[in-house]
Amino acid sequence: MIHKLALRNLLRNKRRSLLTSLIIVFAFSMMILFMGLSDGGHKAMIDIGVRMGLGHVIVQHPEYRDDPALSHLLDNPEQLKQQLIDTDKRLTPVARLRSDALIQAGRHGVALTISGVEPEIEAQVSAIADKKAIVQGQTLAAFANSTDLHRLSGIVIGETLAKNLEVRIGDTITLTVKPASGGDLARSAFEVAGIFKTGLHELDTFWAEVPIQDLQALLEVPNQVSQIALYTSAGSDNVAQLATALTAQFPTLDILPWQTAAPELYSAVTLDAAGMYLLMLIVYVVVAVGILNTVLMSTFRRQKEFSMMIALGARASTVSKVVLLEAIYLSAFSLTIGLALGLWGHHHFATQGLDFKEVFGTAMEAGGVLLPEKFYSTLEANKLSLSVLFVFVLTILVTLIPAIRAGHRSPVAASQES
Amino acid sequence: MIKLNQINKIFSDKHQSFHCLKDLNLEVKQGEFTVIAGPSGSGKSTLLNIIGLLDKPSSGSYEFDGQNVAKLNNNQLADIRREKIGFVFQAYNLMPVLTALENTEMIMEFCNVDKKVRRQRAMETLEAVGLGEFKNRFPAQLSGGQQQRVAVARAIAAQPLLVVADEPTANLDSHSTESLLDLMQSLNQELGVTFLFSSHDPRVIDRAHRVVHLQDGQIVKDVCTNNNDQQVAV
Ligand SMILES: Nc1ncnc2c1ncn2[C@@H]1O[C@H](COP(=O)(O)OP(=O)(O)O)[C@@H](O)[C@H]1O
Ligand SMILES: [Mg+2]
Repeated sequence: MIHKLALRNLLRNKRRSLLTSLIIVFAFSMMILFMGLSDGGHKAMIDIGVRMGLGHVIVQHPEYRDDPALSHLLDNPEQLKQQLIDTDKRLTPVARLRSDALIQAGRHGVALTISGVEPEIEAQVSAIADKKAIVQGQTLAAFANSTDLHRLSGIVIGETLAKNLEVRIGDTITLTVKPASGGDLARSAFEVAGIFKTGLHELDTFWAEVPIQDLQALLEVPNQVSQIALYTSAGSDNVAQLATALTAQFPTLDILPWQTAAPELYSAVTLDAAGMYLLMLIVYVVVAVGILNTVLMSTFRRQKEFSMMIALGARASTVSKVVLLEAIYLSAFSLTIGLALGLWGHHHFATQGLDFKEVFGTAMEAGGVLLPEKFYSTLEANKLSLSVLFVFVLTILVTLIPAIRAGHRSPVAASQES
Repeated sequence: MIKLNQINKIFSDKHQSFHCLKDLNLEVKQGEFTVIAGPSGSGKSTLLNIIGLLDKPSSGSYEFDGQNVAKLNNNQLADIRREKIGFVFQAYNLMPVLTALENTEMIMEFCNVDKKVRRQRAMETLEAVGLGEFKNRFPAQLSGGQQQRVAVARAIAAQPLLVVADEPTANLDSHSTESLLDLMQSLNQELGVTFLFSSHDPRVIDRAHRVVHLQDGQIVKDVCTNNNDQQVAV
């Protein structure tokens, strides 16, 4: 009976119920869609940032962060790498050596930070100069392994840098650095092995990689590296805990999660997440106001009816239940449709992906990191069910007072004339 | 069944108070067909509200069906109303979203009467008030007289001890008034349900077995015309 009363009363004013329902459906499905795209976008941004020469966790000499001098390097990288793997089998460590350098070809010269990398491992974890990014020539790893006889070690450089230096594959480049001994400048020649394109201006114009041994020899720092970057197969979610755990194990080292190592990326992601929470708040308010408005309008005109029910012997709780049920049916119906629509949209973007260029015209950079061309909607079941539950509880909360008031109408009013 | 003793009802707000019922004594027995008669404003509705447990007196004692109801809380009063009293109001009688049959069933449903029993009894009652063929109509699709018949059906379907009807014919034409009174009278005779209603319409008052005349919150005359035209002056 109370269900019948609740449903029929909703249908009594079809237009009002439908309008409220539509607003909730729209707001809720949009929220799900944005939640999926925003989380998917963040994941993609973090992944790409982490893969663009960063790493989930960076291990450095404690003073390197403030003063990246050659006197603040890590010793015995191989031993340290083994120790790190021993603490967590899911870690892939990769050593890197960085130094200011002058890169010259013919009459052109560019000052930049040269990276000495372990070509085999670097190609697995980093996306700067991997197979996909190389547009001409080959990767450092492939170059070193090739059966051709090379006089020189290889160097890979960005597309714009190659254009600025006017070099092509096979050309020779000279690298000049100031060695650790502090003596005369040291100089060495490299053969352009590959040219990469990331789409990131900073990388394509000012990034070059050579094998780490060559750079160690040139800088006179054998067996020393600037950093060991750690990549974890566990993904980017629990990086902070990982960094804390490692810090406890290696108290003499500076161990940073990517959030600290790349604060620009982190703030871009968190700022965006704040926007998401704001959107969720707006959706909650829309749902609450929509339901409250409908309930208030429908109970206001039915006070006489409630009095009559009570006069006839309905208990206060029975009358309150009718009002609550109306809101619950309306909310459940709208949420179900909103959820279905939102999940349908999510499914589309989770399988087809969203093309950034389609949406924004050109590729856009965020936090110094190129957003991927396409990214895929991801939804956390927890977060989603929590927000469904929250909206539902919200429905009941906003309806509670009008419902209780309806149950406490005076039965005397039933006998009075209008 | 009903024993009112020294009942007073005073309505008061911040500015004024109004003494509506004054030291009123009344006894109503099982099976009566009694009208409370009196001009508008004499306190008929107020009295019926107190008798129907919709309102509480300011002072005095009220015994309903052998029970002193003064100390009962709202839910307990609702329970008694549901189980023992049927109501017919002047207007706004039926739930607009329920059909005639569903309206008739409503109180029984509040009483948790078994669904089959409920359906059958509602149907029988609706047929008894002559509206069997209108069972699936909504109140808006019925005339005023038909709506009041459904209200009577609803009031008696749950088999109450007492039916309280406050000016049930006030909004009806004379033909509907006559047939509603016929209906109430036959239900009173056949089922023994006590009917207590109010009116200021002489044609309605003439049909009652007992007429309680109310004026300015006091009973001025109590006339029994039931069997032997005995008169009791108060
Ligand atoms: N809730 C109330 N507050 C104040 N005065 C009231 C209230 N209800 C009724 N009255 C007054 O009590 C008197 C009797 O009312 P009522 O019982 O409705 O008379 P009747 O039904 O005989 O017309 C009227 O003068 C009315 O104004
Ligand atoms: Mg009245």
